[in-house]
Amino acid sequence: MADTVTTTGSSSVIGRRRREAITGYLYILPAFLIVSIFGVFPIGYAIYMSLFRWRIKQGRFIGLANYQKLLGNGWLALAFLVGLALVLVAHWLWVDAFKDNSSKRRMGKIIASLLLIASAFGIIYGWRGMMIVGDKRFLISIVRTVFYAFMTIPVQIFLALSIAYMLFQKIRFSEFYRMLFFLPYITPAVAVSVVFRTIFNPRETSLANQVLSGFGVTELPKWLLEKKPVLTLLFGNQIDSFNQWLSSTGAGWQFDGLWLGPSLALVVAAVFGIWTFTGYNVIIFLAGLGGISNNVYEAADIDGANNFEKFWHITIPLLAPVTFYLTILGFIGALQAFTHVFVMKTPAVGRAMDVASIHIFDTFYKSNNFSKAAAESILLFIVILLITIIQNRILGKKALNG
Amino acid sequence: MAKKTKHKQAYEFKSSHIPIYIMLTIGAVVAVIPFFYMFSTSLMTLGETINKTLLPAQPQFNNYSEAWNEAKFSKYFLNSAIITALTILGTLAVVIPAGYAFANIRFPGRSIFFMVLLATMMIPYTVIFLPNLLMIRGKIIPWGSHLNTLQALIIPFLAGPFYIFLLRQFFIGIPKELWDAARIDGAGHGKFLTSIVVPISTPVILTVTLLTFIHSWNEFIWPLLVTTTPKWRPLGVGLYSFVTEAGPETQLLMAGSVITLLPVLILYFVTQKYFTEGIATSGLKG
Repeated sequence: MADTVTTTGSSSVIGRRRREAITGYLYILPAFLIVSIFGVFPIGYAIYMSLFRWRIKQGRFIGLANYQKLLGNGWLALAFLVGLALVLVAHWLWVDAFKDNSSKRRMGKIIASLLLIASAFGIIYGWRGMMIVGDKRFLISIVRTVFYAFMTIPVQIFLALSIAYMLFQKIRFSEFYRMLFFLPYITPAVAVSVVFRTIFNPRETSLANQVLSGFGVTELPKWLLEKKPVLTLLFGNQIDSFNQWLSSTGAGWQFDGLWLGPSLALVVAAVFGIWTFTGYNVIIFLAGLGGISNNVYEAADIDGANNFEKFWHITIPLLAPVTFYLTILGFIGALQAFTHVFVMKTPAVGRAMDVASIHIFDTFYKSNNFSKAAAESILLFIVILLITIIQNRILGKKALNG
Repeated sequence: MAKKTKHKQAYEFKSSHIPIYIMLTIGAVVAVIPFFYMFSTSLMTLGETINKTLLPAQPQFNNYSEAWNEAKFSKYFLNSAIITALTILGTLAVVIPAGYAFANIRFPGRSIFFMVLLATMMIPYTVIFLPNLLMIRGKIIPWGSHLNTLQALIIPFLAGPFYIFLLRQFFIGIPKELWDAARIDGAGHGKFLTSIVVPISTPVILTVTLLTFIHSWNEFIWPLLVTTTPKWRPLGVGLYSFVTEAGPETQLLMAGSVITLLPVLILYFVTQKYFTEGIATSGLKG
């Protein structure tokens, strides 16, 4: 009797488990299908496309030729990548490798410094080579993207942390302020980009120029129509004489081109990015601030710490994981920035605003070179992955270990 | 005394807070100025937009009727409304069962599927939009061209991995005793999900609904690629094509921007707590 009960019991358990599993698969099936068809499969297909000649119609198989044309030469790209990887190794040697062994630590640091020199060599050698034999337009668009990321992320994190810290004090209307700061994040990028186009219009009556003339500026910039780098606009004469001096010393290098940084038009796009994402970062920082226990501050009070000391020695370190998360998110967002640049860009600025995603879009939409666009997008994906991994290694550990 | 502690926190004014108020107000003004500028310019005459007075002398409300009627914004608005409504319904139908399955149904490979799903959030759209466009044109799977159709605008967005994640986190917090009790009463997963889980999860479902609304309404690149005619063109793309056509008529452009923005704005002011709370919790648990 007891036996039969247990056997029928266990077989019904198996039956029930199977039914349970089938229900589970059925419940995730629609999501799984959509993600597979429109999310995962396209990655494989983009790789497939990049291996062919493909202008509107699929052509013959050409292997890695698209990548070779973009990067110039596999060895140069490899030198560049090895250079980047050596930075990681050097960081590991410097910080972690000989933690327990103080006598070897100095050795580790010396090797790390040598590796850093080697990595700089690899990066510079690889990059210069690629710029000569590779696809200059694509490579420069990647640099513009990096400019964009470095203009937006530090500023929006700094602003957001300051605002969140102020909102976290016991002040009145903090909910109201929070609502206003978050507002830009949820608005349609197209509509606001259209407004930014008018605000940063080159006319002297545009809002941006009226503000500048209010501060007594007489030479009003062309904002979204300005191809020239900001440094040239601000210090053009000094840079010219510096370059003359450089060539008089016989140096083979000039302070020009990409060294001068992003164009003013791209800076305006970055302002848009900062304006949009600061509020989002404020919300996340506020949640992080709320997670810090009051006890820590009370202990600091007993030790007689002032407000600034508390902010610097308690708040900032304890918020490090949040800051790290926002940095990663910021990079992922910045490397894909598209809509607002696309809407604010006019033919008059030429390529000065062509960040990587815009360049890829043009390769495919205007030049109809599908396989090249696919190869470019795969390379951009690799850049995003690399940056995320490097950040995880270097910043992530610091953020999590405090 | 008891009353006072019941209040959130007794507010006391400190003079040391004055600089904070000043800085926050400056920041808030910067955050809001583009909107103010948009509204004000949308009510100006063409002459005023060129001479850039800050406010219109006489509000020109007919700018709106002009944008609404002549620039087809009424059609685009209706398209956007239909697309957004269907996207929300579809998303909820796809995402709630998936989130529930990952939280409360045991099946082999569950954690692997979940990891894969989360990993897809990292995929840059720049990589996938070209293959997806070819797919919609029927070049990869021979199902004919779906350009300028509703399904092309909606279906690719229905499985938001982030929403599945958000719902799963919430569903996991639902006490197991409820499920045991329901099972004793003879209810299966379907019954339990619809009659108990969904009703007690309204806050998180509302958050998902709102985020879907915003994303769907604000979506730009994909509709730009798959709508080559005005038939299903949504507001954002309509506004963009208006930018390239209308040129100097700034006031109409601004009226169009306001029309595009207003539904989002109203929704946000009514429900903003669900936005910020949803984002704050999700952001930290991730």
